[in-house]
Amino acid sequence: MKKLTNSVSRRTVLKVGGVSAMVLAAPGLSRAQAPTVKIGLLQPMTGGFAGDGDLARIGAEYAIKEINDAGGIKSLGGAKLELLIGDSRSNAEAGAQATEQLKADGAAIVVGGFASGISMTATQAAARYELPFIIDCAVSDALMTRNLKNVFRFNPSFSMAADVALKNLVTINDASGKAAKTVAIVHEDGLLGSGLAKLMQARLPALGFEVVEAISHPTPARDMSNVVLRLRSLQPDLIIPSHYFNEFVLFARTLQQQRVKPKGGIYALFGGAASSYRFVKEFPEAAEGVMDVNHWGDPKNPTNDKLMQAVQAAGKFYAYNAPINYSVVKVAAQALEFAKSAESGAIIEALQKNEFDSGVMPYGKSKFDATGQNVNALPLNTQVQGGQIKVIYPEQFAQAKPKFPANG
Amino acid sequence: MKKNFEFIAALAFLGVVGIAAIAGLPGNILNLLIFMMIIALTAQGWNVLGGYGGLSSFGHAAFFGTGAYTTTILQTSFGINAWVGLVCGVILGAAVGAMIGFLSFRAGLKGSYFALITLAFAEVLRILANSWDFTGGAAGMMVSINNGFAYLQFSDRRWFLLILIGFVAGGLLLTRWLERSAFGAYLIALRENDQAAQALGVDIFKIKMQAITLSAAITALAGCLYVQNFLFIDANVAYGSWISIEALFAAIVGGAGTMLGPLIGSVLLLGLGEITKSFSGGIAGVDLVVFGIILILCVAFAPNGIRGFVADLWYRRKSRGKAM
Repeated sequence: MKKLTNSVSRRTVLKVGGVSAMVLAAPGLSRAQAPTVKIGLLQPMTGGFAGDGDLARIGAEYAIKEINDAGGIKSLGGAKLELLIGDSRSNAEAGAQATEQLKADGAAIVVGGFASGISMTATQAAARYELPFIIDCAVSDALMTRNLKNVFRFNPSFSMAADVALKNLVTINDASGKAAKTVAIVHEDGLLGSGLAKLMQARLPALGFEVVEAISHPTPARDMSNVVLRLRSLQPDLIIPSHYFNEFVLFARTLQQQRVKPKGGIYALFGGAASSYRFVKEFPEAAEGVMDVNHWGDPKNPTNDKLMQAVQAAGKFYAYNAPINYSVVKVAAQALEFAKSAESGAIIEALQKNEFDSGVMPYGKSKFDATGQNVNALPLNTQVQGGQIKVIYPEQFAQAKPKFPANG
Repeated sequence: MKKNFEFIAALAFLGVVGIAAIAGLPGNILNLLIFMMIIALTAQGWNVLGGYGGLSSFGHAAFFGTGAYTTTILQTSFGINAWVGLVCGVILGAAVGAMIGFLSFRAGLKGSYFALITLAFAEVLRILANSWDFTGGAAGMMVSINNGFAYLQFSDRRWFLLILIGFVAGGLLLTRWLERSAFGAYLIALRENDQAAQALGVDIFKIKMQAITLSAAITALAGCLYVQNFLFIDANVAYGSWISIEALFAAIVGGAGTMLGPLIGSVLLLGLGEITKSFSGGIAGVDLVVFGIILILCVAFAPNGIRGFVADLWYRRKSRGKAM
């Protein structure tokens, strides 16, 4: 061992190292360096929400490829986009740290965030550098009340989505001759579920529905038998649930196993699994007829189909994370185009002053108001029909008529 | 290793971190150091009770969360100064510690029973904070962004890091005092054999109560400082099991019942996490796997923590030197 160590002298190491470095650097020297702009994608790549982060990555990478293939950012001399991925590890502290890392790695703009808690700390971290940040699908109303000039939200807020959900519910119910009169709310006890329960309890009575009970459960939940037994005795016409993926699946399966079939079926707002092909393919019977109001790509946009195929080709089940992150990257690219610069201030100004094509999301032209909220963001009503997730409302995006009452 | 040497080395390390921060560090490193110091402070709190007193708690989140919520509520709902909020947070955190201690120690709980009861208290507080309106329910609470010393928020976060370094240095001083005081000796005595300590005249109930109150106060202080940095808490952040685990992990891996343990543990665990992340080649989760393996190796080959492992090496080398 000693002999070997002595045989490699310091000079030899320097010589070999120097030559290697030159060889490695040569390709870069031999051709003109194309300018690149880095876009940060903050998503939970590990932890409880890792599945969502992975779908978001597929969507964002698809958009980056499209943009680069079409010649990059023209106002920046055809600058190519480079995607930097920051793993928020499904928690708020790591979200802030990942945002700091994206900034350190040179991101000109960050998109994503996914959950409200993560987006809260991540956008705050970005605010320290006035780093533009476009939230993809976090819904908490509080996110846009902090007067942070660098923060924009592409997706609808919780209140916006709730308004749409209630309006559509009334329309669908009226069209069926008011088939549903009584409603039970089943929700997880976190931000999403509790917020929904509070709002529904306040607003449904004025719309002609009687809320027979609001049942909460923790996340994660291991068993839904007691919840379903209670529903069996209450016999509501309609169930409005709000859970994350696993609990939604557990709940729907328990309803199916115990043969509890409310006449109107299930009408979810941001249902954890109701708009996921994984749920539909794995539990087709439990999923059939389930309605949801959620982020969803415009089914009439051909790119949406291509995106769905890309997700399937990667061996994943399609859900909203892919189209919304595809679209939010497209918005970021347009902002760069308008800004004619990768400088933070110019990008923020471009986001404030312009209207943007919304990719495959059904938002028409996206326009951010003074708080940074996209005023044209719109969730879609979907229903699982024949093993497919079909858009049933509003009409200009609808692929199928609502089947309501679902079990009537 | 001499205790004086350890103390001076720890202060020198903190001094170097402080000087490096003043000289200028990138934002991501600054953010990491801030989080490291918050965890070090939490672990220092845990170390008083779990390390020196041998009363391992799985529920230090109860104190962390109480401190965090107290200062947040006082600032947002009553417009009270952040520093006053911090003092109130520490006092209320200590009070929660005293209450849990009173109920547990009167019932003679120790070992795994004590660990479980602390976990239960933290869970109860998490569920309550998740449903009460005045804690913001599931939506959590935000502290408004207001930069300035009075608000304990700084546009230049180096100041915040320096304040944290000051608190961690204070924690070191406190542990140094603990190791030299009669109170510390009683605490260690009851850790080693509480019945023998009692037979020798130590009022073990009083000592345990003092230990849990002090431990809770330090952890509550860390909770208050967490809020001032992240400006947002909800029930899962404040009272979630993650912080209890971070606290005991940092202290145990670093060396439970030692002055340096919490600081070494937090710097090593969080630093290692970041280093492995940069070598993971963009594959999500690989860093966590590497991190887990390193952790297993640490626990397997350094049962007394890193500090114990290094001290063993030191003494072995020293004794070999003497033998030669």
